[in-house]
Amino acid sequence: MMERQTAQDDHTEDAGLSQLEVSGLECIRQDIILFQDISFKLQSGDLLQVDGLNGSGKSSLLRILAGLMQQNAGKISWQRKEISTCRYEYQQELSYIGHLNGVKDALTALENLRVMVALAGSKPEFPLSKALDQIELVGMESIPLSRMSAGQKRRVALARLFITKAAIWLLDEPFTSLDASGKLVIERLIAEHCACGGIIIFSTHQPMEIKDCSIMHIHLGKK
Amino acid sequence: MLKQFHQLVSPKYFYNLAVLLTPWFAWLTILLMIAGLYGGLVFAPADYQQGESFRIIYVHVPSAWMSLFIYVVMAVAGGVGLIWHIKIADVVAKSCAPIGASFTFLALATGSLWGKPMWGTWWVWDARLTSELILLFLYLGYMALQSAFDDRRVAARASAILALVGLVNIPIIHYSVEWWSTLHQGATVSKMDAPSIHIDMLIPLLIMALAFKAYFVTIVLLRSRTEILEYECNSSWVSKLLNKVESRT
Amino acid sequence: MTSYWNAFRVIFLRDIILASRYRAELANPLIFFIMVIVLFPFAFGSDPDLLRRVTAGMIWITALLASSLSLEGIFRSDYADGSAEQMVLSGYPLTLLVAAKIAAHWCLTGLPLIIIAMLTAYLLSLPTQALQALFLTLFLGTPVLSLIGAIAVALTVGLRSGGMLLSLIILPLYMPILIFSMLAVENAMADIPFDAELYFLSGMLVLSVTLAPIATAYSLRIRMS
Repeated sequence: MMERQTAQDDHTEDAGLSQLEVSGLECIRQDIILFQDISFKLQSGDLLQVDGLNGSGKSSLLRILAGLMQQNAGKISWQRKEISTCRYEYQQELSYIGHLNGVKDALTALENLRVMVALAGSKPEFPLSKALDQIELVGMESIPLSRMSAGQKRRVALARLFITKAAIWLLDEPFTSLDASGKLVIERLIAEHCACGGIIIFSTHQPMEIKDCSIMHIHLGKK
Repeated sequence: MLKQFHQLVSPKYFYNLAVLLTPWFAWLTILLMIAGLYGGLVFAPADYQQGESFRIIYVHVPSAWMSLFIYVVMAVAGGVGLIWHIKIADVVAKSCAPIGASFTFLALATGSLWGKPMWGTWWVWDARLTSELILLFLYLGYMALQSAFDDRRVAARASAILALVGLVNIPIIHYSVEWWSTLHQGATVSKMDAPSIHIDMLIPLLIMALAFKAYFVTIVLLRSRTEILEYECNSSWVSKLLNKVESRT
Repeated sequence: MTSYWNAFRVIFLRDIILASRYRAELANPLIFFIMVIVLFPFAFGSDPDLLRRVTAGMIWITALLASSLSLEGIFRSDYADGSAEQMVLSGYPLTLLVAAKIAAHWCLTGLPLIIIAMLTAYLLSLPTQALQALFLTLFLGTPVLSLIGAIAVALTVGLRSGGMLLSLIILPLYMPILIFSMLAVENAMADIPFDAELYFLSGMLVLSVTLAPIATAYSLRIRMS
């Protein structure tokens, strides 16, 4: 019933690498089994796309991986430790962007970025003005998000990815309401993150091109 | 030991155990109820002050005890479900709420009936009656929250938190209401070493208390059975069971 | 440790800034408070003796309702825009962030409410010794209302029947606070010491400061799933 694809097991195992392993994951929502027996193993530089129809449990899978939701069965381990035993370590290594942007409409882009940095608990790698440059919002620092378009808000939300130093990115439909140039920015970011040894799990309905990266697929729901 | 425990809390095992135990507790309830009611309504002497109307305590007092006892059971079961993710605990907690609320209501209604001849009015702001009423509100809040969620697991966990918060608050509410009201009778039965109630009156009261406990267990088992079937409707053993019932009819 | 303090400060300030962007909404609980106070003389008649006796009570009941109504919004926007998810996933204990939100909420609604309540009590010529007791009980009691209420808000946030359900859940939990506050004011009016009641309220405050943020954080986590 499930199509599974496991990362190549012949990867050379390195202690310094990141490793996310999922085995036998099951999710039941309102008495309906969304998915069952999902297993995969991801290492530094892996890119995994979650496919499936609407309602097949893509968002639930990502939320479970983020630790927001609890699985009904199965195990998720990060660096060989189950994530329920090292919740804070795991969450510091994690950036999750869901359907909701997680940004405040009444705050400006810059203020939103400051809150993100402070809550991530890490120092930003570069000045926040450069982050605005990356998401092509220069000159809109002092405008509250309520006066921006949906795509611009999404860009602010996605800025979370590069102003914090997370190893795992969980992206639920990252391209929603983005225009072509915004999509390019995100595709570039994904490629860079993979090259730097990050792990990315994402779901999308849009065709996408990532340079120098092979995308693994996992399919949810009935074929 | 651990394995046995896990087997005990597996829904299937618990369901079968509940099916097995329900009739025993039902018979126990009936026997104790007959004994207690006979003792209380016929055997016990009439009170020299309150006359025959005191006999309502054989319903009032045990149901008041039960109302608090069930809340504690509910909160503890909820907490167990919350911490160890045991389905059975969630199911038991959920099944407890309406029974507890009914006992609380019964205690209030009988208290009010008793109050009419004693105080000349249906309702007085007596400390015990008032805290019983607040307990009823706690139960109603719990049930309202329980039913507000679509997802069973979220409902169980959220309402377990509410039950635990309520459990911390019950003694506080009880003593604050006691403090607020000075118009109440002193405790009569809790002083076990020197009971101020006559022994002939006390024994039927204790039998009635046991009868109510057995009744509670019976109903919890019955309700839990239905809940488990709903909870586990995806599992193979439930569909097997349903097939068996269908083929029989 | 400093970084924990920093996270607390960031959330606290963020909520203060957010409230300052929606300044008009800040006044709503206060206007509600004054309006309900005005209802009482219509219900009880304008007999000054009677009103003086129930002034403290009506101020407390109104404060209780105003606080429970304003609490309803404490997590609403965070839940709707996904900030709550990000708070759960942040590198800091959710308990800490939730505590910061409750503190900000109390500073924004509780403090102004106390000031308005004291002003109203003074205008309605509550005796001086009772004014002091009223102030102390409000000062100790309203944070407890916010803390206990936050648990219930976290449990009911985003539900269809949110507001009504919330009141149903929290009002029984509020009763001890009301009882002891009123006893303190009554004692003060009768020139009897009211230390015992204040100690009790302080105890409730300590208990809820320690436990309520934990329970609130836990509830919020459950609501996320």
